[in-house]
Amino acid sequence: MQKKKCVAMLLAGGKGSRLHSLTKNLAKPAVPFGGKYRIIDFPLSNCTNSGIHTVGVLTQYQPLLLNSYIGIGSAWDLDRKDGGVTVLPPYAESSEVKWYSGTASAIFQNLNYLDQYNPEYVLILSGDHIYKMNYELMLNYHIEKRADVTISVIEVPWEETNRFGIMNTDADLRITEFEEKPDVAKNNLASMGIYIFKWSVLREYLIRDDQNSDSSHDFGKDIIPLLIQENMNLFAYPFKGYWKDVGTVQSLWEANMDLLDKDCELNLFDHSWRIYSVNPNQPPQYICPEGEVSESLVNEGCKIEGEVSRTVVFQGVTVKKGAVVKETVIMPDAVIGHNCVIEKAIVSPGVYVPDGTIIKPGESANDITLVSEETIGELQSN
Amino acid sequence: MNKQLLGVIDATTVHDDLHELSIHRSVAAIPFGGRYRLIDFILSNMVNSGIQSVAIFPKFQYRSLMDHLGSGRNWDLNRKRDGLFFFPAPNLDKHYTGIGTLDHFADNIDFFERSTQEYALIANSYTVFNMDFQPLLDWHIKSGCDITEVQKEGKSLGIYLVKKTLLMDLITTRSETGYSNMRDVATDLDSQFHLCYYNFEGYASMVDTIGNYFRTSMDLMKPEVWKELFPKDRPILTKVKDEPPTRYDVDASVRNSMVANGGMIEGTVENSIIARGVKIGKGTVIRNCIIMQKTQIKENCLLDSVIVDKDARIEAGTVITAPADSPTVIRKGSVQGVGSSS
Repeated sequence: MQKKKCVAMLLAGGKGSRLHSLTKNLAKPAVPFGGKYRIIDFPLSNCTNSGIHTVGVLTQYQPLLLNSYIGIGSAWDLDRKDGGVTVLPPYAESSEVKWYSGTASAIFQNLNYLDQYNPEYVLILSGDHIYKMNYELMLNYHIEKRADVTISVIEVPWEETNRFGIMNTDADLRITEFEEKPDVAKNNLASMGIYIFKWSVLREYLIRDDQNSDSSHDFGKDIIPLLIQENMNLFAYPFKGYWKDVGTVQSLWEANMDLLDKDCELNLFDHSWRIYSVNPNQPPQYICPEGEVSESLVNEGCKIEGEVSRTVVFQGVTVKKGAVVKETVIMPDAVIGHNCVIEKAIVSPGVYVPDGTIIKPGESANDITLVSEETIGELQSN
Repeated sequence: MNKQLLGVIDATTVHDDLHELSIHRSVAAIPFGGRYRLIDFILSNMVNSGIQSVAIFPKFQYRSLMDHLGSGRNWDLNRKRDGLFFFPAPNLDKHYTGIGTLDHFADNIDFFERSTQEYALIANSYTVFNMDFQPLLDWHIKSGCDITEVQKEGKSLGIYLVKKTLLMDLITTRSETGYSNMRDVATDLDSQFHLCYYNFEGYASMVDTIGNYFRTSMDLMKPEVWKELFPKDRPILTKVKDEPPTRYDVDASVRNSMVANGGMIEGTVENSIIARGVKIGKGTVIRNCIIMQKTQIKENCLLDSVIVDKDARIEAGTVITAPADSPTVIRKGSVQGVGSSS
């Protein structure tokens, strides 16, 4: 097998429990985003656009949809004779079944996958974030710095540093300390969960970590702190641009709304860095004579008979006559019934919102309603 | 699975009345409905009817057609066995008329010999319809027909069903019989064959003039036509593009229109078809128009009853209107408006 310079490992087993019913039947990376995409389209498209054509996707939680979505990777041009995309679920060995207990254990259990390519570098990604990034530039930086590990970081507002893993660095950006969600941060450079490892270093530390029974087998909690402690060469790679963790209903909604801003840094219309996706092959959207659409993103296969503003509409959605939808995300194949009024909500895929349903934000205007089958059931029983 | 049926699409047709849209492309490849090409309808119908082997016979200007069809992957025709075949005419000087030219087939007779299917469905490339061919085949067999022509309200739809062995006989004996195409065979009053006519009851429109192209396009906005052409279980497949959803600006106003992906709409659009990646500037009004892929219409334009072909640019402040029954065509890649010559 041809030796690969860099192989990407994409951690896609996350449950995303703060997304509530959205992730009941699917893993977080498969959650729909931006009118036609799923979250995982972003790291996969970044890989293919960065010239990384060997990608292992580690799945665990609710993998059915994710597996069929990824398929052989052709949507992202990752169907390759040598390499390409490989879905890596946990598996049983003769002695035991090994679930992925942490991010590091997931990679450790697939050492044989990496061994067969014997790359020089391993790029570790998560399937939880929305961003566009050229990993090749980060790899060049990693090589230039002669780093053992390079961690991509982004400046976050100081008041939010307690939500992130913070990297303290020297003037040369060498990482001297890693603090997980510090109360008082010395720095506002947050880890984006994107790592480039020298393969030999990663291999050694994963094997050692596996033998440590006190370890939680997590990159952020165990591997990175140990590397720093042992004085290895860790560098921060400052990333500038749009990056968002869409781990909560609120942040998922916000990130969708960001796209409606004409000057949004995450430009989906940039053909030089396309975000690829499994295309549904549906007819064009139809805006009916009574329909009205403004400041919105609308995908194929939709039928809009009502009023839609500041809303992201996925494929196959129907908005019926008299309905008024504002600042909402309507996921694939949902139907908004006649005369509904919906504001600040995320409507789950395939949900039928009955005629005349009113969903408005409560007391605190920031509350985003997640409209699912259950929400509809509750509304009807009241 | 319909392994009995071989699909044959005649893509040689040239319509003089469609000239402005077919200078750079064969009729089969004329964009339609915002994201399709005319050939998508017959090709998808064949695939949806279970046909796994489709031969395309093009003649002129087939570069865009080949680019569109590629390996056939979008129609699931990239198969190890059977799949999509492309047989361009080896000789451009030979004059072909009618649908299903036997001369053209004769040049590729070995394909017909090798194919294992028992029946062949020969169709034109420019009919907009959604039809299941399985009931047609069942009826053809049950009625003991030699050749069945599909018709709509007594008019030929340019689609013929025939046993493959008979088709090969027709090809090899064409100089003796004088038949030059399938239409000749199906319309011969003194025929020795059992000729049948099968009536298709659904929506069907053969696109052969600009007026017809325009009317058929506008028909898409009728809910009953839409429903018939795009049922979920029998989708019209096409080459997919990775375009983002269409963005509607604050000032956008869109009514009774079909809009494909990747567009940026800041103006007013009514009764129109907007293809993939089209930009419509602020203050611009588009009425009764067909705007094709990647065309840019700048600010404060007024377009009424205009067909704008691909990659055109309409400069700010341009006004182009035409009578509803004879739409103006703006050619592919052209620039209109301030400073332009036309």
